[in-house]
Amino acid sequence: MITTFLSHTTRRLLRSSSAGKELATKVTLGIIMLIVAGYTLALGFSLKTIFVDVLKQNNPVGFLNGLLFYFFLTGFVMRYFLQSLPVLDAQPYLHLPIARSRIVHFLLGRSLVHIANVFIFLLFTPFAMTVIAKAYGVSHAWVWLLSVWLISLLNHFVITLFKKKLDDNIWGLITLIAVFGTLSAADYFGWFKLSSVSQTFFDATLVGYTTIAVLVLLVLSCYVITYRFFLHGMYPEELSAQQGQSFHSANWAFLQNFGLTGEWIGVEIKLIVRHKRTRQLLFMNLIFLFYGLIFYNNPKFQTSFGMPLFLGIFITGIFAINYGQFLYSWQAGHFDFTLTQPISLTQFVESKYWLLASFTVLNFLLNIPYVYFGWNILMIHLAGALFNMGVNIFILMNMAMWEPKKIDLSRSGMFNHQGVGAAQWLMSIPILISPFVFYLPLSLLGYPEGGILAVGTAGLIGIIFRKKLIEFTVRRLSEKRLLIAANFRKD
Amino acid sequence: MITISNLKKEYKSVPVVDIQSLSIGQGESFGLVGNNGAGKTTLFRMLLDLVRPSSGEIQINGKNVQGNDEWKSYVGSFLDENFLISYLTPDEYFSFVGKLHGYTSEDLKSVLAPFEELFNGEITGKKKYISDLSKGNLKKVGIAAAFIGQPQIIVLDEPFENLDPTSQIRLKNLIIHEYKNRNTTFLISSHDLNHVTETCNRIVIMEKGKVINDLKGGQEALAQLEAYFKA
Repeated sequence: MITTFLSHTTRRLLRSSSAGKELATKVTLGIIMLIVAGYTLALGFSLKTIFVDVLKQNNPVGFLNGLLFYFFLTGFVMRYFLQSLPVLDAQPYLHLPIARSRIVHFLLGRSLVHIANVFIFLLFTPFAMTVIAKAYGVSHAWVWLLSVWLISLLNHFVITLFKKKLDDNIWGLITLIAVFGTLSAADYFGWFKLSSVSQTFFDATLVGYTTIAVLVLLVLSCYVITYRFFLHGMYPEELSAQQGQSFHSANWAFLQNFGLTGEWIGVEIKLIVRHKRTRQLLFMNLIFLFYGLIFYNNPKFQTSFGMPLFLGIFITGIFAINYGQFLYSWQAGHFDFTLTQPISLTQFVESKYWLLASFTVLNFLLNIPYVYFGWNILMIHLAGALFNMGVNIFILMNMAMWEPKKIDLSRSGMFNHQGVGAAQWLMSIPILISPFVFYLPLSLLGYPEGGILAVGTAGLIGIIFRKKLIEFTVRRLSEKRLLIAANFRKD
Repeated sequence: MITISNLKKEYKSVPVVDIQSLSIGQGESFGLVGNNGAGKTTLFRMLLDLVRPSSGEIQINGKNVQGNDEWKSYVGSFLDENFLISYLTPDEYFSFVGKLHGYTSEDLKSVLAPFEELFNGEITGKKKYISDLSKGNLKKVGIAAAFIGQPQIIVLDEPFENLDPTSQIRLKNLIIHEYKNRNTTFLISSHDLNHVTETCNRIVIMEKGKVINDLKGGQEALAQLEAYFKA
């Protein structure tokens, strides 16, 4: 049975309609994965050198043990985004004479085959087999490595349960904030140090076997809990991601003042707030507003021009870039509707422009506090916002026509690669480089202010001549619309 | 009203639709029947400028539909779920389509009033997104939206599919009523020979992309259709 399941799984991967077409994306991802794996392994081999020679720690094992809990907390957050629930594909087997328990065991077992669970070994095996084995013996090196792995499995099952119960739910967020808040408060007020708890815990694995026994029991009980949970919840409607969906009925009445274009924007805003994947874009937009803080705390960047220009483009345009790269794919489900209704393509494109432009303006307004780091920073961000509105949005609207793929909005989540083709990977390059085409020549001549001015002016010119640019976009969309519609009709 | 001339659509040089000439007049209710793969949906898609013909053209009121926005204001259509906006509620969807046709909410009410019976209290006034509706209810939403805007032509692909028997009868009455009262031209494809003979006064059989028979509606048509499909 297991082999049948496995062969079905591989067939599904190989035969999915996107398998061949998204080869470029897959290859790119694969290469990135290999590179990351290589780096992880290299990092694993140099952990000792880093701890001893760079960080001047005379007890590298203890130091690493102190870090491990932080490592798993970070892992928890990463997994939250990377790890998907292993469930939906169970549906075709539910009505067949196969024991439910088998299906659940298979699903849970298969979910363990996950990058995160493999990377642990790449990162820590070298350290365990050299440093720990030398100091504590090979068997304890194995115990240590297995303990690290078991904690990672614990993380795996906790995330699975967490995502099943509390995902996209205000209580889930509150729980997370409470846990992380308590941990940082404990560290800050000195109730206990997470690092010393972590060190005590992992040091214990080096001398005895109780800790690993406890860990094995914990993982097993977690497995049983998850197993029972899935066993009793094997109903298609409970398995789908859309459960407990909230209802948003805000109507954005002021948009009606802008005629059909406004109506269309209203519909698109509903799209954005009613789907998880697009809500996550809003959330990311909010997070990235603070992205500049990482750099501007460094006085070197406060007086520079290049970095603030990049940040200005990036921060004010983050939503436009993230949303705009799939501009037509979001509404793929009703593209035929769009084409048969009495709305002209011009109104359609205008609505897209104003939607993206409004977000850029909004982001710029939210950027105003950056004036704290100097007026020059704010002015550079302004130039970036203008450039986004006058140039980049048009680049996006046109590049998004390059073989867009359908996005099924009911499927959700970050790192959901649906809709991603080679074009989407290439698209961010011109967006981030184009302002520098205007900035660099003047900057290299010794007039960085002039360069910024040129970027802002280019943006303004684009905004002033937007009618022409929209016309151009409409002409291209009109040529490609039938191809795009046919693409969207394919699943 | 609708004139099709030398229309051909080929996929990888296999003809899917191949119609020399066919015209549909004002106020005709035109039924399209044929087994799977006969080219009915492709024909409708070309009519709605969703598929580019390999050659030939379709004119509505003397104008080629290709790349032309004009017909959109007087052709109502519902082919499949790609015509619905899944993340809106039916009410929001109707009012949106209404606005596209310049309707006030009063206008909209009067268009939707005859559908109340068909909706059976499951569509309007509910806090439910279209994506959460059953297949039958999806169909009802799409069909009702096709009636918005007092269209001269209404194109429906398999309107009776997925509907319960009561709804099928109600829908049939709605179509006949609309057709008699406003002289609306209907284009309906269906696999249900009874329904199609009852609602349509002209029935065309398609096979492998070609029109192979053009019948007048009524009881004789039903007999002829049954004879054709038996073979």
